[in-house]
Amino acid sequence: MSKKNDEKLEVTIKSNTKDLFAFTKLVPNRMKRIERAPSEPITKDPINDLARKLHPEKQFLIIDDIKEETKSTKTFKIVPDPESTTKELSYFRPGQYLSLKVDVNGVRITRPYSIASSPTDVTKGFYEISIKKEENGFLTHYLWDNWKVGTKIESSGPEGFFFFERLRDLKNIVGIAGGSGITPFRSIAKAIDECQIDARLTLLYGSSEEDDIIFYDEFKEMEKNNPAKIKIVHVLSCEEVSLEGCEKGFITKEIIEKYCDVNSTTFFICGPQVMYDFVEKELNKFNLPIKRIRREAFGEIKNILKHPDFPKEIAEKTFKLKIHIGGLSKEIPAMSTESVLVALERANLAPPSKCRSGECGFCRSLLISGKVYVNPISDWRRSADKKFNYFHPCASYPISDIEMKIPRNL
Amino acid sequence: MRNKKEQNIEESFDVVVIGAGNGGLAATAFLAQKGIKVLMIEQHNLPGGVATSFVRGRFEFETSLHELASYGPKTNKGSIRTMFEDKLQLDTEFVQVPEAYRLILTDPDEKLDVTMPFGVDNFIEALEKEVPGSKESVTKFFDVAQEISAAFSYIGSTKGKPDQGVLMKEYSNFLKTAAYSVQEVEDALGIPKQAQKILNGYWAYLGLPESRVNFTLFAAMVLQYAELGGWIPTNRSHGFTTAFDAKIREFGGRIEYNTRVDKIIVENGMVIGVETTNGDKFKTNYVISNASPILTYNKLIYPKSEVPEIAYKDVNARIHGLTGFVVYVGLDATAKELGLTEYGYFIMNNMNTEDVYDSWTTLQAPKGLACVVLNNAVPDCSPPGTCMLDITTLYRAEAWEEVKPEDYYDLKTKIAEDLLINFEKATGSSIRNHIEEIEIATPATFARYTRHYKGIFYGYEPESWDSLVPRLMSMGKDVYIKGLEFAGGFNRRAHGYSSAMNDGVISAQLILGKILEEGGKA
Repeated sequence: MSKKNDEKLEVTIKSNTKDLFAFTKLVPNRMKRIERAPSEPITKDPINDLARKLHPEKQFLIIDDIKEETKSTKTFKIVPDPESTTKELSYFRPGQYLSLKVDVNGVRITRPYSIASSPTDVTKGFYEISIKKEENGFLTHYLWDNWKVGTKIESSGPEGFFFFERLRDLKNIVGIAGGSGITPFRSIAKAIDECQIDARLTLLYGSSEEDDIIFYDEFKEMEKNNPAKIKIVHVLSCEEVSLEGCEKGFITKEIIEKYCDVNSTTFFICGPQVMYDFVEKELNKFNLPIKRIRREAFGEIKNILKHPDFPKEIAEKTFKLKIHIGGLSKEIPAMSTESVLVALERANLAPPSKCRSGECGFCRSLLISGKVYVNPISDWRRSADKKFNYFHPCASYPISDIEMKIPRNL
Repeated sequence: MRNKKEQNIEESFDVVVIGAGNGGLAATAFLAQKGIKVLMIEQHNLPGGVATSFVRGRFEFETSLHELASYGPKTNKGSIRTMFEDKLQLDTEFVQVPEAYRLILTDPDEKLDVTMPFGVDNFIEALEKEVPGSKESVTKFFDVAQEISAAFSYIGSTKGKPDQGVLMKEYSNFLKTAAYSVQEVEDALGIPKQAQKILNGYWAYLGLPESRVNFTLFAAMVLQYAELGGWIPTNRSHGFTTAFDAKIREFGGRIEYNTRVDKIIVENGMVIGVETTNGDKFKTNYVISNASPILTYNKLIYPKSEVPEIAYKDVNARIHGLTGFVVYVGLDATAKELGLTEYGYFIMNNMNTEDVYDSWTTLQAPKGLACVVLNNAVPDCSPPGTCMLDITTLYRAEAWEEVKPEDYYDLKTKIAEDLLINFEKATGSSIRNHIEEIEIATPATFARYTRHYKGIFYGYEPESWDSLVPRLMSMGKDVYIKGLEFAGGFNRRAHGYSSAMNDGVISAQLILGKILEEGGKA
C-alpha cells in the first residue's frame, strides 16, 4: 500500500496539472478515437485462410483414376470434386495420411490412408492413395466392389506425424516397410527425388510373395535416376525368390546392419502390427536412442486378447453403452474385444475420428461411468484427461457397462 | 460428416457462453456455481483455447503458459488462487517457478546476462547489485506500482465508476501515471537506463515496446510477479482447464465441444438466441462471447443490420495485438546435462524494445524470445533422462499473410532452426543433437485451433489510450447490444491468463446482476 501521509511519495511525469489533465482525458479521448474510426466491417482474414488451406476440416474428393498395382493392391487417384466447395487440395508433408470417410452399407466409418503421391502432385491437382485388399478386412472388400472412377469421397485434411523433420532426424533415413506400409515411403522417395527433402532413403521392404511387391518398377526407376539418394532392398519371406538382389526371410538385425550404419541413421517404420512386433525386437538389439526410431501409427489393435494385461475373463462379453451426443441419448451394445469407436460407428453415432490409433485425440470423449481398457501402446491421452476421465474411444475397449458423452462432428 | 437432426439441441438457457478459453471457462464456472442455467459452446474438442497441452511421443507439451502472475503462495493468495481454491474448489495442483527470469542480451555492445529473483526486496537488491545506485528509483517504481494495484482493485469494486475525490486522495500517483508509457514514467522516476533494461524484462508478455505500453498495466504486472511469484500447473494448462470442465459439469452447467456458433440472433438491439452450424437452436437473452469483438461483430451477429455502427468503429479503432510462434522440443538429455539451470529465459538482441517489436513485423528470425524449461519447475513433467523446452516468439500476424501453403513447412522449419541456434548461442547449451520430438506452432496453428481472428493470442494493444484504465472506466458504455458481454484477452483487463479469467468473472457478475434484477432467478 502507499506510504503513510507524512512521507507520501508524489511522482510527477510532466507537471502535476498536465498529468491529472491527461488522466481526465483518457476516457473522452478513447471515445473520440472510436467515433472517428471507419465503420466498415472486416471481411478478410488471411491467416485463417492459410490455416484452412493447410488444415481443411473436410475435403470433398472424387476418384479420377484407378490403377491395379498388384493382384491385391490398387492405386486411387483422387481429385477435388468439382461439384463441391473443395477447389484445391491441401498441401501436406510426405508421410502424412488422409482420414477417409466411407459409407459401408449405411454405416459411416473412417480409415486413415497414407498419401502415396508427392507434394508437388498437389499443385497438379491430385493425391494418390494405394490400398491393399485385406483377406479379412470387410472395408477393403467393400472398396474393391464399390469404388469406381467418379465415386465421391469425403476426407480430412492431411494428418499425422510420420514425416522427415530435418531438425530432428538424421539425413540418412532407413525406411522399414511391410506390405502396404510402403505407401508413405513412396511419397517420401518422390519428394527426395524431386529435391523437396534433403535426405538419403534406404528402404527395406518386406513382402511375402514377389507378386505382392507394390511399386516395384517405380522404385527401381527412382533408384536408377538417383542412386546416391534412393535405394530399395526387397526382403521376401517366401520360399522361391527369382528377383535379383533380394534378401530372403525377414527384416532382421543382420539385414539392417548390412544396408546402413545404424548409428548414423534415423529409422522410419510402417507396416502391419506383426511387422512392428518383429522389427522392434531386431532394432532393440542396437540399443538406439528413442529419437532414432519413428513409427507410423498402425490403426486399431487387431487382436486385443493377445495383450497379456487385457482382462481375459470378460472376453467376448457384450456390454451396454449409454451414449449422450448433442441432444440425443441412446443405449447401444458393445463387445469387449472391439474398440468403443467401432461400436459407435455400428450404431451410426460416430464421433469425429482420424488416426484410429489413440494418437490424434479427435475422438476424445467423456467417460461418465464404467470402465474401459486402454493398452499402453496406444495410450496417448493427456495426463489431465486420465485424471478427469476423458478417453479416446478408438483406443479403448469397454470392460463394463459404460455411460459416456461424445462430441458431434463439426 | 453431417450430424443427424436427432442429435440437435433445442433448449433455452439463461446464458450461453461462446468459447471455452480462459475467459469463457471462468465465466461459465462462476454462473454455473450460482445456479444459473448456462451452456458453454466450444468449436474445438478441448477446453482452454491456447491454454491446453498436446502429446508427442513421450512428451506432453504445455501450449502457451509460462507462468501465472496472479496465483501466489498459500500464505499470500492471488486472485486466481482464491478463485481456484476458495471459490470454485478446482481440483488442480500448482508449483512455483524458481526464479523471475534470466535475461540475456546478445548484442556485443549490450551484453548482459542476469537472473532476477522473486520477492520485491530481493528484486530491488539484485538490481542494485547489477546497477549500483538504482535502488532508490526502483523502490519508487514498486511503491507507485503498489498504489496502482490498489487503485485497480478500487476501480473494479466500483464497477468502473470510481469517486474522483477518493482517487485524488488515495491514488494520486495512479492518476498521474495513468496516461503515460513505461518509458515516460521510468525516466521521470529517474531509473538508470541499465536498470530499466533489466526491470523491463517482462515487457514481451504485454507485447508492446516500452515507449508504447501503458505504465500502470506494466507496473501492476511486474509487482504481482515479484510479490506472488510465478506459478504453473503440474500437468500443463490442460490440467486446470479440464478441472474447470469437470467443475462446470458438477455445478450443473452444460458444455458442448466440437460445436461452432453460427449466429448470435439479435432482435431490436437485444440478444434473443444462438444457433450453431449443425443446427442447434438456443433461446437466451444473454451471451458472453469469449471470441473477440472482431469475430463477434463481423461474423456472428445476425442479422448484420443489428450490428450498430459504433461496434464496427470500436473494432476498427483498436489495434489488435500479436500472435506467436513456438518451437516445442522434447530432448533426450536432462536440463542439468544440457546446462539449462533456469526455468525462464528472456533472450533479446538488445532491450531496444521498438527494434525487437519491429523484428516481429517481418518474416525474419525474431530478435526477442521467451523460453521455458519446464523441468526446472516440474521435474517429473517428462520421463527420466529427458526434458522439455519451449521457445516462444511473437509476430504481427500481417507478416504471415502472404505465406503460401507450399512454402509454409520449409519456412517454419527455417525460423525454428534460427531460434534454436539463437537459444544455443545465448545459453551455451547444445540442444539440436538431443531433439527427440519437435513441434512448431505458427500464427496459422493458433488460427487453426482457436479460430481467433488472424490467430491472435494477445488481445488489443494496451497503449495508454486503450489500456486498462480507460477500458475499465468505460464499463457499461461499451455494451452495444443488450445482453452481449465479452470475456477474455480482448476485453477490459487486457490479455494474459490471469487477466482473461478475472475478466470472465466480471462479465459473469454483470450478467448475473441483470438476471437477478429481472427477478428471473433467485
